[in-house]
Amino acid sequence: MALPLSLLNRIGNEFPRKNLYLRDLAEGKTVSREDHPYLKQLSDFQDKEAAFLKELETKAANLSANSDPTIARLMRSLFEAREKSAFYRPYVDLSYQAELDYETANTMATHLPQIIETHKEIKAEIAANQAAYQAIDPLAEQAAKTSLADYQRQTKVARAKEFSRLKELKKQGRIASKALSNAKKNFVRSQKMTEDELRLRVPSNALAGEAKALRYREKNDVKRLEGLMMAEVNELTQTIPMESDKQRAIHHYFSWPLPGLGQILNKQYIKGALFLLGSLFIYLVAIPYALGYGNYQGDGVAGLITLGAGGRRLDKSVIYLIEGVIAIILLLFAFAIAFFASRDARKVEREAVLGIRPKNWALSKRMISEEGFPFAVTLPSLVLITFIVLVPIITTILLSFAGWDPQHQSKFSWIGLTNYINLFVGRGLAGGLFWRILSWTIIWTLGASTLSILVGFFLALLLNNERIKGKFLLRTIYLLPWATPAFVTIMFFSIMLSTGGIMTDMFSALAGRQLFVKDSITLTRVALILIKTWLGSSYIFILSTGVLQSIPNDLYEAAQIDGASAWSKLTRITLPLVLYQTMPLLIGQYTFNFNDFTIIWLFNGGGPPNTSLYGNLAGSSDILISYIFKLTMNNQFQSLGAAIAILISLGLMAITYVGFSRSKAFKEMK
Amino acid sequence: MMKQTADKPTRRLFGRRDKPKVYLSDRPPLSTAGVIGVIITYIILISWAVIILWPLYQMVKSSFNEAQFQYITSGQRFEFGLRHFKALFNETNYLKWVWNTLWIALVTMGLTVLFVSFTGYAYSRFRFRGKKFSLMGLMLIQTIPTFVGITAYYAIHQIISGPMPFFTRQMMLVLIYSGGGIAGNTFILKNYMDSVSTDLDDAAKIDGCSYMQTYRLIIMPVVRPMLAIIALWSFMAPFTDVLLPTVLLNKNEDLTLAAGLRTLISDMRTLNQPAYAAGGLLIAIPIVIMFMILQKQLIGGLASGSVKG
Repeated sequence: MALPLSLLNRIGNEFPRKNLYLRDLAEGKTVSREDHPYLKQLSDFQDKEAAFLKELETKAANLSANSDPTIARLMRSLFEAREKSAFYRPYVDLSYQAELDYETANTMATHLPQIIETHKEIKAEIAANQAAYQAIDPLAEQAAKTSLADYQRQTKVARAKEFSRLKELKKQGRIASKALSNAKKNFVRSQKMTEDELRLRVPSNALAGEAKALRYREKNDVKRLEGLMMAEVNELTQTIPMESDKQRAIHHYFSWPLPGLGQILNKQYIKGALFLLGSLFIYLVAIPYALGYGNYQGDGVAGLITLGAGGRRLDKSVIYLIEGVIAIILLLFAFAIAFFASRDARKVEREAVLGIRPKNWALSKRMISEEGFPFAVTLPSLVLITFIVLVPIITTILLSFAGWDPQHQSKFSWIGLTNYINLFVGRGLAGGLFWRILSWTIIWTLGASTLSILVGFFLALLLNNERIKGKFLLRTIYLLPWATPAFVTIMFFSIMLSTGGIMTDMFSALAGRQLFVKDSITLTRVALILIKTWLGSSYIFILSTGVLQSIPNDLYEAAQIDGASAWSKLTRITLPLVLYQTMPLLIGQYTFNFNDFTIIWLFNGGGPPNTSLYGNLAGSSDILISYIFKLTMNNQFQSLGAAIAILISLGLMAITYVGFSRSKAFKEMK
Repeated sequence: MMKQTADKPTRRLFGRRDKPKVYLSDRPPLSTAGVIGVIITYIILISWAVIILWPLYQMVKSSFNEAQFQYITSGQRFEFGLRHFKALFNETNYLKWVWNTLWIALVTMGLTVLFVSFTGYAYSRFRFRGKKFSLMGLMLIQTIPTFVGITAYYAIHQIISGPMPFFTRQMMLVLIYSGGGIAGNTFILKNYMDSVSTDLDDAAKIDGCSYMQTYRLIIMPVVRPMLAIIALWSFMAPFTDVLLPTVLLNKNEDLTLAAGLRTLISDMRTLNQPAYAAGGLLIAIPIVIMFMILQKQLIGGLASGSVKG
């Protein structure tokens, strides 16, 4: 990158170069650094500037002291600003730095008198307030206090009188109870207002209130005005360009090995310090962890490959795997820090070449709090999601390619796609059940969800009939299965349907023979679907009731006039509207039931067992998710369980992805 | 033509001709088929109400039935008494479970609301690189059942509690609940916040509010109903989840209510079905009442979180 001929500020205005040496360089002339006339002029100026600043300091120190520290400080700043303004004035055309100094001094010189004035005014007002407080006329004070006390004494009587009058009106039926309570409130409020007014008429109270307000102003007014002044000064640094002989961005390379170093080289010290904290994370946490130091048991990234093979007997491969995953995530965070540090340093440097001054900390802070806001506030969630949600998911994905089975509990190794192949071809003790369980899972999902939806919608439709009385009661009853925690009802159904249970005996009496619901594959499955209908229809009922009630009546009236039958009103108006509005939630029913572990597990534990069909690993009512549970928790086929879990998740994600990416909300999002 | 007015009841309806009745309804009168239809509708509606109420009634009845012991069986006579409730309090860790569930639920609720308010605000109000991509990511992550990571949770807990022994499994549970809730709730809150006009933000900005102040003073009060719903759902999750506490917590006194009650019917050593019914009743009553009162809001929350066409 060559030196540009003209300079830019942050807003994009163009400026001619003032540094003639650099201009000659930019124009491609051969110039020597030693005897360029401009450089001599510049160094001459710099010598004078140093001498001036030194002198200024002693002069400022000798200023007449003021008893008020704030005024002393402000006066000193004002003196310095005026001196600087006078000193830099002739050099404005020499360099942009001098121009900036001059403008800064000027800005301060115009603002500071006003600030000092404000402070003095407040001080004077405080003094006046105190004097007035001292000079309160005791007679007037006493008189005002007496009238306040008199009024306070009267209020109770007046209130009681007014209240009884209002009550009388109410009794006569002339006002409603709402009006009564409002009138009471209004009366009390107006009394309170009069009382406050009288209280302020007491001179000491009024002055004390004023003093409080003045103290607040004393504290904050100067601060606020100074803030405004500094904002203007900061703005100057962004409108007046700078010149440097820098041609290439170099510092940002230093931010790769040590984030923050580039910033410090760019003279942005506070930002640099913050990035250095990131460096601490990289060198004290991420890299040591990735190398295996500070691991609980594993060996950092290396553990991901070896899975602890050849380690101690107590070492567990799964720990090696997870710590490897964590190590990689920490490294990713480290990389992100270095990347952002370097990118930031490079941006600042590139701007410096163009003439744009780096932001000072006040401006950087403002930028971070504005543009960085969404990142800053979502960072904690990102960290939590990463470690609580992503790490387990990644672990599961990796486990599905490993051989964690009953023979390899403590140590296992990578086995590639074997688990998936076993599932697809239905091979092995555990894999062989996959298709059989999948088919029941699908029957279960379709049956339970469809039945819930049908029953719930049908009930909502019936109850939406305007001729039906007792709607509120029925609606409340229909709400119950949804409102009661599912585990409570499922387990109670499980109790009632066990042998000797209330419902079993009732159905046995109906069937004319003893039934064993929980020992029969068919009966258990039917019971599950029916219980799910009992539970799930409630939610669908509430949903569709809401939609049905929101359908405007005109639609039906118009249809009526056109001679539509009840059936065509249902199929042409009601169904499309309800379906359109609840479709995502209805699809949600299917995906939810597909994974509804709770009901399967709590009702019969996936049973009854059927060793000829299912072996010892699953029961005949197990769905995939409860099969995963059994594989993982009871039967030590963790890898195979992980593979099934991944397959399920992929399927669900595909459904969600299709639905979501087509949705208007997502398409319209910027 | 006969006019149908209240003053001149000339048309014969249900009564006999000599006893004319005033027909005030603005609906057309029912035909015989219509009457039968209404009756059938009533029969269906009432039978479904019975189907719903009967099991619940059985549960209430057995929890108060002193004649029953360990098992709830049919054909028992009924003897009213509070023995099962007493057993619940005296012989089980019920109060301990209540306490565990309460603090887990409260902390989960606090964390979820805190995290979700920020993420929801960021996604609703800011444009930033990777927004669409990360939102899709959140959406997809949310569909993966929490349960999938169960093996990893054990190990992660071991890894964290190695250097930090005070990190209990219950705390792990809190983290799982709150971390798992972020994705879906962010989406719900974002959708709700999108319906709040950005003019409010602009006005606040002109008045000199920072983003943080804009959220705290302007947006949060407006979206408070949805935050309340999110808080409620995340508060209830630990009360109704049986799986994670059962799997993750190993000591009986560490369990949450749902997992603890399960031990009363799944564990032969502590089997006590009527006490289970009593305990279930005690959790169900407050939750049911709350659902009754808040049903509109709860449903609204669910519906607005969904992805509409």
